[in-house]
Amino acid sequence: MEQGWYSVGQPEQRIDAEEKARGTVRFVGDYLSPGLMHAKLVTSERAHAEIRSVDVTEAWKVPGVRAIITGEMFPFHIGPILADRPPLAFKKVRYCGEPLAIIVADAEDQAKQAAERVVVTYDPLPVVNSPSDAMRPGSPLVHEDAGSYQKLISNVYPVSGTNIGSHIKIRKGDAGAAWAQCDETVTASYSFNLTDHAAMEPRAAMAEINPSGKIIIHSCSQSPFTIKKVLNQFFNVELGNVIVHIPLVGGAFGGKGTVQLEPLAYLASKAVGGKLVRLEYSREEDMRTAPCHIGLEATVRLGADKDGRLLAGQYTFLFDSGAYTDQGAGVTRAAALDCTGPYDIANVWCDSYCVYTNHPYATSFRGYGHPELSFAVERTMDKLARRLGLDPVEFRLRNAIKPGDETPTQAVLTANNIGDSAQCLLRAKELIGWDGGKAREAAGGKVRSKGLSLFWKTSTTATNAQAGAVIKFEADGSVNLNCAAIELGQGTKTVLAQILSEKLKMPLSKIRVTMEVNTQYDPHQWRTVASSTTFLAGRAVMSAADDAIAKLKKTAAVALQCAEEDLDIGDGRVYYRPAPEFGVDIQEIALGYKFPNGHTVSGQVIGVGKHVQTHLTPMDEKTGFGKPGPWWSVGAQAVEIELDPADYSYRVLKALTVLDGGTIINPRMAEQQMRGGMYLGLSFASTESFRFDAEGIVLNPSLRDYQMLRFGEEPAEYMVDFVQTPSAAGPYGARGIGEYGVIGMAPALANALSAATGAELDELPLTPETVWRAAGEGSR
Amino acid sequence: MIGFNFDYHRPGTPEEALSCFRESTGQGLQTVFYSGGTEFLTHARTGEISAGAVIDIKDIPECRELQWDGEILMIGAALTLNELAGSGEYPLLALAAKGVADHTSRNKITIGGNVNSRLPYREALLPLLLADAAAKVAGPEGERTLPLSELVGQGGRLPSGELLLQILVSRRAVERPHFFRKKTRMTKVGYPLVSLAADREGSRISGAFSGLCGQPFRLAQVDEVLSDKSLTPEAQAAEIRSLLPTAVTADQYASAEYRLFVLGRMLHELAEEWEECR
Repeated sequence: MEQGWYSVGQPEQRIDAEEKARGTVRFVGDYLSPGLMHAKLVTSERAHAEIRSVDVTEAWKVPGVRAIITGEMFPFHIGPILADRPPLAFKKVRYCGEPLAIIVADAEDQAKQAAERVVVTYDPLPVVNSPSDAMRPGSPLVHEDAGSYQKLISNVYPVSGTNIGSHIKIRKGDAGAAWAQCDETVTASYSFNLTDHAAMEPRAAMAEINPSGKIIIHSCSQSPFTIKKVLNQFFNVELGNVIVHIPLVGGAFGGKGTVQLEPLAYLASKAVGGKLVRLEYSREEDMRTAPCHIGLEATVRLGADKDGRLLAGQYTFLFDSGAYTDQGAGVTRAAALDCTGPYDIANVWCDSYCVYTNHPYATSFRGYGHPELSFAVERTMDKLARRLGLDPVEFRLRNAIKPGDETPTQAVLTANNIGDSAQCLLRAKELIGWDGGKAREAAGGKVRSKGLSLFWKTSTTATNAQAGAVIKFEADGSVNLNCAAIELGQGTKTVLAQILSEKLKMPLSKIRVTMEVNTQYDPHQWRTVASSTTFLAGRAVMSAADDAIAKLKKTAAVALQCAEEDLDIGDGRVYYRPAPEFGVDIQEIALGYKFPNGHTVSGQVIGVGKHVQTHLTPMDEKTGFGKPGPWWSVGAQAVEIELDPADYSYRVLKALTVLDGGTIINPRMAEQQMRGGMYLGLSFASTESFRFDAEGIVLNPSLRDYQMLRFGEEPAEYMVDFVQTPSAAGPYGARGIGEYGVIGMAPALANALSAATGAELDELPLTPETVWRAAGEGSR
Repeated sequence: MIGFNFDYHRPGTPEEALSCFRESTGQGLQTVFYSGGTEFLTHARTGEISAGAVIDIKDIPECRELQWDGEILMIGAALTLNELAGSGEYPLLALAAKGVADHTSRNKITIGGNVNSRLPYREALLPLLLADAAAKVAGPEGERTLPLSELVGQGGRLPSGELLLQILVSRRAVERPHFFRKKTRMTKVGYPLVSLAADREGSRISGAFSGLCGQPFRLAQVDEVLSDKSLTPEAQAAEIRSLLPTAVTADQYASAEYRLFVLGRMLHELAEEWEECR
């Protein structure tokens, strides 16, 4: 390892901090343009019904209406994994809030008035209102023939004649025989409803088609190149004719990783002769119509010998993916391949189902299956520890996964591809002041307790997921970096600038990163999801820097009349290593070296670089066998709560994350990212939940009644620490860390509340009423 | 974005406001009085409310008054909840007002709007029910003063075309010892599962509730139960349950059983607070 970092490891201020703090950043919804037209959606009032008619007569009478598009005008299915979703419903609707028609008008209020005048008549169908209902024999079908849909990737297994959108299997060891060896087993079930991402910026997109056939999309997406792909795959347009522009994104949390608005905006623009059309969701549409966070019903069975060694695990996940599979099918797969959590278990049996219901459909959410599986697994670990008479920390330590072990998909772990889970747990134990998970009396009749969790995650990117970077120089020797990583508040552009600063040994102030992304001039990048951007784009930046350095040295060698291999770079100069005072400023060579007589050689330096995933494989259909991700980051989380046993209200006093993130590029931003993750996780765990009536209608599709933790309700104290086991493949030893702060919060909170009350808390959200109900029925 | 157009008027006197109302309705426009606007704007945006004309009463001086007239506190209907909470004039109203929505919203929400809200909670009404407050109203028949509870108690709302100018409360009511508790589903900002405002004159305790049933209420029989020292809080809760005007609310925020549990806890706290009177 290189020592004495230049910029890596420094708590640099984010490069976009000032504009954001001053409120001058422009998001998609802020762009105005003469002649801009506005689109509004007509959405379904029913969760499951046949569409008898869509009457647009009255809508056409609203002045300014230019086009009305209904489902039968584009009766095809699209989707990222399984193409099962019509962009506009035709024949039937499958969730309340589903788009049925688009109105395009000169002004936004005209479009809205017209949308309210469209009359839809329905023939109601029986509603599938939970994944367990959906799995019952004879259940109504959300999709009549799920097996007939086009598959976009290999690892998706829909089952026709059922509500199964995908069934992923893990078969490792001999799970059947192993149960007989177990001295203790525990089986428990867990559940939570779909929730919302609730990013501060509601989703918006603009589309236009210019006369030469170029389609220009402006969006707040995490996946610009996927938008191109979707329009190419499903709308029969040439890939190169689609240009996607992404300004800064106001929060995403996975919700902007999939493609929903952009095809609608494209259809809207097409219907008005290619004019620029904006489709912007209200908060309510963003919650009800756009895809949300997946729900789950899970059953976990764990068995151990009397020494507390886990011998077997069986996991059944029924993911509530709502009306369409979208990324829910990927979440189903991701949860299966990491189903055990970070424990070494020789015998594993997992059935992970992506289940159709008549709920709003799910897509990726920060953690991608891992906050979900961790809730079920980490609750069960606490229960089994209790049954074995072991401290929950000790029980976890005895089974913590380590190099040499195999994951559920039989991927072999090495010192390079997994962090140190035991170290994370021990550090968390120390920082939270672990007391064995016992309830203690506190002032005023209150009870204090602690709960913890251990977690892991790998990123199931495409096996050819990649990123590219281009470095250009100004005449003053400063640098511009272009890369298609999306800045969505996570600070990725700052991290990439630090990596470049490190490579070039150049101050951060001399490095400018293009904040917006435009697919026309930024090199291809897979997507900004899966905690993979520091890794993929970071390596691409390093490779581009190497390219630029080689070119600078080549020019400098001419100027300095020496061999390239004797040159080094640093502080804005290329210098002769044996005599560093002998060198040339980068500004003298960045655009070519000009001799005193005016002759110029080499011309400008352009550094290009890329990085692509190495040696990933899909999973075997029957056993799950495969290597799904480049590395596993591991971590431990804990909370301390204070509960009032009189009314079961509680507050979180401390929330702790210890993560093995490999080398931490920017400790201040990493700490902030963990805090944000813990907040999101606690909000999901304690209060967020979509509520459905018997007809599958969302009862709380607005922030008036969908309750989230608010500013001021965060834990009284956040604690963050990092174990830094370098990842050999990562840039300067870094691993992905973006999603991790969320993953273990729900089980840590539930474990703490269970310790405080003696009740089993196996449902989210953990409102005081949930705790009260469990405590009344639980066994003290 | 509001999907309909409407006329906006901002009269300076009650007379102007009423004639404006007559003219607008005469033109066939559905007309509403408007003050803080939080409810109108948010519900208009989601298509749950509409109007052809809106008459903003914030420029009517009477509606912005907060002052004592001898033993009577006159509270202008267009005063915001934060203005009232910050004034220090009426401590129990301040407590109830501060429980409504969030601080930013309370900068806009007015007392007149809250007591006449289309939502079922109307927590600022609770102290006023305990105080037997009066309402000064301007309408087609001129100005009149009547008990506030006749207008907006028992689930009632101000009749269309009537303009609430002021709420009048006696000093005796304002200065009574008081108690306020609000319990939400989880987060601090939220609708009440149960809110309880109580006050005491000697050993006589009165209580008004929100969240428990479909409407805020105060009942003489409930006051008797609350004042009955022979009853434990559990017994009081059971008695009150049998007296409730409608079924206990069960919705996405809480079950009816949990609301009753919360009610029991509040009665415990009330008993503890006024232990010396028991």
